Amino acid sequence: MFRSDQVNTLPLHRVVILQIAIIILFATIFLRLWYFQIYKGDVYARKAEANITRIQSLHAPRGLIRDRNGNILADNRPAYGLALIRENSAHIPTTLAQISSWTGISEDLLYSRLKKGKGKVQPFNPLLLVPNLTFKQLAYIEARIHNWPDLSIITRPLRTYPYGPPFSHVLGYVAQANEEELQANPRLALGDMIGKQGVEKSFEEILHGQKGRKHLQVNAQGRTLRSQVIARPEPGTNLDLSIDCSLQQLVWDSLEQHAGAVVVMEPITGQILALVSKPGYDNNLFVQGLSSRDWKKLLHDPSHPLQNRVIQSTYPPGSVFKLAVAGCALARSDITTSTSFYCPGYYRLGTGVFRCWRRQGHGKLAMSDAIARSCDVYFYNLGEQLGITRLSKFCRQVGFGRLTGIRLPNESSGLIPDKEWKLQHVGKAWQGGESVITAIGQGYTTSTPLQIARFISALVNGGHLLQPQLQNDDHPNIQGRLPLRDKDRQFLRQAMIQSVADRHGTARSLQLPQVTIGAKTGTAQVVRLTEKHEDKDTEEIPYKYRDHAWMAGFAQQGDRIYVTVVLVEHGGSGSSAAGPIVKDIFTHLFEE
Amino acid sequence: MSPFDRRLFTHLNWSLLLVALTLFGLGVINLYSASSLRGETGMTTVSFYQKQMIWGLIGLGGLILCSSFDYRHLRSLAWPLYWVSLVLLFIVFLTGESIYGAARWIDFGFFHFQPTELTKLSCLLLCALFLTRTPGLLTWTTLSKYLGIIALPVALIISQPDLGSGLNILLLVGGMMFYHGIQTRVFGTLALILPALMPLCWFGLHDYQKERVLTFLHPENDPLGAGYNILQSQIAIGSGQTWGKGFLEGTQSQLRFLPEKHTDFVMAVFGEEWGFVGSSLLLILFCFFLYQIMLIIQDSKDRFGHYLSVGVFFYFFWQIAINMGMVLGLMPVVGIPLPFLSYGGTSNVINFCFLGLALNVSMRRFVFKKG
Repeated sequence: MFRSDQVNTLPLHRVVILQIAIIILFATIFLRLWYFQIYKGDVYARKAEANITRIQSLHAPRGLIRDRNGNILADNRPAYGLALIRENSAHIPTTLAQISSWTGISEDLLYSRLKKGKGKVQPFNPLLLVPNLTFKQLAYIEARIHNWPDLSIITRPLRTYPYGPPFSHVLGYVAQANEEELQANPRLALGDMIGKQGVEKSFEEILHGQKGRKHLQVNAQGRTLRSQVIARPEPGTNLDLSIDCSLQQLVWDSLEQHAGAVVVMEPITGQILALVSKPGYDNNLFVQGLSSRDWKKLLHDPSHPLQNRVIQSTYPPGSVFKLAVAGCALARSDITTSTSFYCPGYYRLGTGVFRCWRRQGHGKLAMSDAIARSCDVYFYNLGEQLGITRLSKFCRQVGFGRLTGIRLPNESSGLIPDKEWKLQHVGKAWQGGESVITAIGQGYTTSTPLQIARFISALVNGGHLLQPQLQNDDHPNIQGRLPLRDKDRQFLRQAMIQSVADRHGTARSLQLPQVTIGAKTGTAQVVRLTEKHEDKDTEEIPYKYRDHAWMAGFAQQGDRIYVTVVLVEHGGSGSSAAGPIVKDIFTHLFEE
Repeated sequence: MSPFDRRLFTHLNWSLLLVALTLFGLGVINLYSASSLRGETGMTTVSFYQKQMIWGLIGLGGLILCSSFDYRHLRSLAWPLYWVSLVLLFIVFLTGESIYGAARWIDFGFFHFQPTELTKLSCLLLCALFLTRTPGLLTWTTLSKYLGIIALPVALIISQPDLGSGLNILLLVGGMMFYHGIQTRVFGTLALILPALMPLCWFGLHDYQKERVLTFLHPENDPLGAGYNILQSQIAIGSGQTWGKGFLEGTQSQLRFLPEKHTDFVMAVFGEEWGFVGSSLLLILFCFFLYQIMLIIQDSKDRFGHYLSVGVFFYFFWQIAINMGMVLGLMPVVGIPLPFLSYGGTSNVINFCFLGLALNVSMRRFVFKKG
């Protein structure tokens, strides 16, 4: 049926070509296999071994932070997270779907976390997808994870701050190191937590500890066969603060709903017993990773909860500043404690009229009464006589306008203006009237509550300007001496006591039995009041125009002596808004 | 001739069929390891080894189909099939679905069809027919006609771009051409001109293809990039050493250091887990496989059957050579699978069909003995 071809026309003699081809091919492959598997076998075996050896970091627990009585303010608790090792995954979407069904986290969110981590996590290293598993989830997943070679449960120490907002500004917080920080410190790896604020940041070096390293050998299923610790983790050193936990909480509660700043200091040692800035924030949120929305919310909150008002905010010091001005005057030979001026309720300089807070005037007073009753006109006189150059020089010597050196990040120096400063920054010449208002702590002058605490401390500790200390075992660090004679210093201390003891004294509400208390009140004008607002009670003035209330004082009983500075933002007058808080503090300190 | 003749069975080359099925079986076992997917119940993803078995069954159907009728009927089918595959290639060229940046597929809804595979078959048939009808050595005229047949389909395939398959066809028909023989004068001229044309081909390559060639020459230049496949496959094979790491114990393949381990790089998985001993056994099986096809060539009784089996021989020969050469770092990475071991749908079916053709030739050699 087919036109058959002739068998003898077949090129059979050519089959030998095929035979040669087969021999060449298989001889080549055979030799090549022999070369790889036998001759170089051990070399490749070592390379394969290197492929399955993984380096794992061992987290070093961060040093604990404790208060002066050993209460733990910053603790580490184990946190369990679920991580994906992408290279071990047979099918990542299936795994993500499973994680989603275990944890209830949407697959979309898991995908976005995976995408974020992709470029940052090295191959074969776990990429954290679920940072915090509940114990119930942990138990459930732990029982099933053997089916998922691409998943692993990661235990890491997580920082917790058991007391929350009252300590937020002192402690600060830790959070994942950002790109800049990673570049600056080669010892940090992605995902490492470092101190970002507060003492967590300033004592980062001692708190951090050193990570350990572990070599893991895995089998074909990705399971660990052998592990060897190459370097043990070194835990961070514990930090004992001078802060008194119960006092700190008392102060926080005592501020009630007010925004404000409070610092309590031991004037002999310079140790800080309480440092409160209100409102605060929950520093635990930062540890777990704040969403950018929550971060922006905190950042743009009009009450500035992130600001540490004790060291970062600068306020006009108001009448509290009169103590420094009086000191400056006493340092001059021609003004003495008995120098007196007449107060008619106002002071006239050129064409300007400067009012005393007491509109009917104080009459004729000497310096101690002027301080106790906080007469403005008396200090207008001093201001004019002293002049800004002398005034600013003295104020800087007693610690205003420069950093206190407290070991907390982002301290502000405040401002003591002078002629050069004004010319440079405002572009105008200094006016005589400006010296006058500087003398009552208004105008360009600003200071932090901590600067005032340091100044008051120096008045009562023998004239030593100390660095405020946060560590319990810190020795006093004397940064300078007040340029005042002992008797002048004693006089100022006595004037503060008089403010409390005198029946006309502005701080008379502070009196406590058995305790020597001295204080100075202050009211810092936020804006120049219009006539309309001047006669009104504090409650009637809109909040943002209300004055800041100051009170700075000390309390002494035998060897024990404490300095407290309280600022209540928009609180109105010093004695009514800040007074009760100072009293609470001193009552607490001398309770036992 | 009765529609069914017992002699069909007695003349069937059972050894060839058995060795092919053994290879395929080893391939499925190896794929189980290369694609093992561990997970909790409720996972619906079908693993490659399961899919491969399904394709194997379809392939066996193709094998039976291709050996059930007298292969000499194919002489009249050669041209129609050729035109059909050309048309399909054009359709792909114009509309084809792109996978990994290369348009090779026609989507029939239930499965993806690769016209490339059909083209291999039709080119084989047409070239076998051509050589059957060419009595003497190839002259300039006959050689031009011969190459003219495959020029268009190969150009279309390479433009997809599927260099591997294009090369596969070129080598297949080239093998047949040399087997048939070329006039010394023509051969000599070609031997001088072709090497001179090589640099020109370089400019026709896609960037990724050039990169592959460069990587082949210097894999260590970029160990994490393009050279990664080559290095990791060599580490896999080498670390198998004499006895291998054992089934499912290959760290290189199980821990995903090997890319494409279920398709082009299956040999690396096999070499790692079964070692030199296992790989040598596999080589012997492949060698025996080609030897059996060679026996069919020797025993064939007509020119068409003869050239048909020569084509089948070179079809498998070059795939084995190129795939092994690539995995063992003897040539650049070209996407050509290892017959019966690599996972693949259409490619496996076509492999079985080609095998069926060779068996067809062996089954019907009695027709001539008695005729």
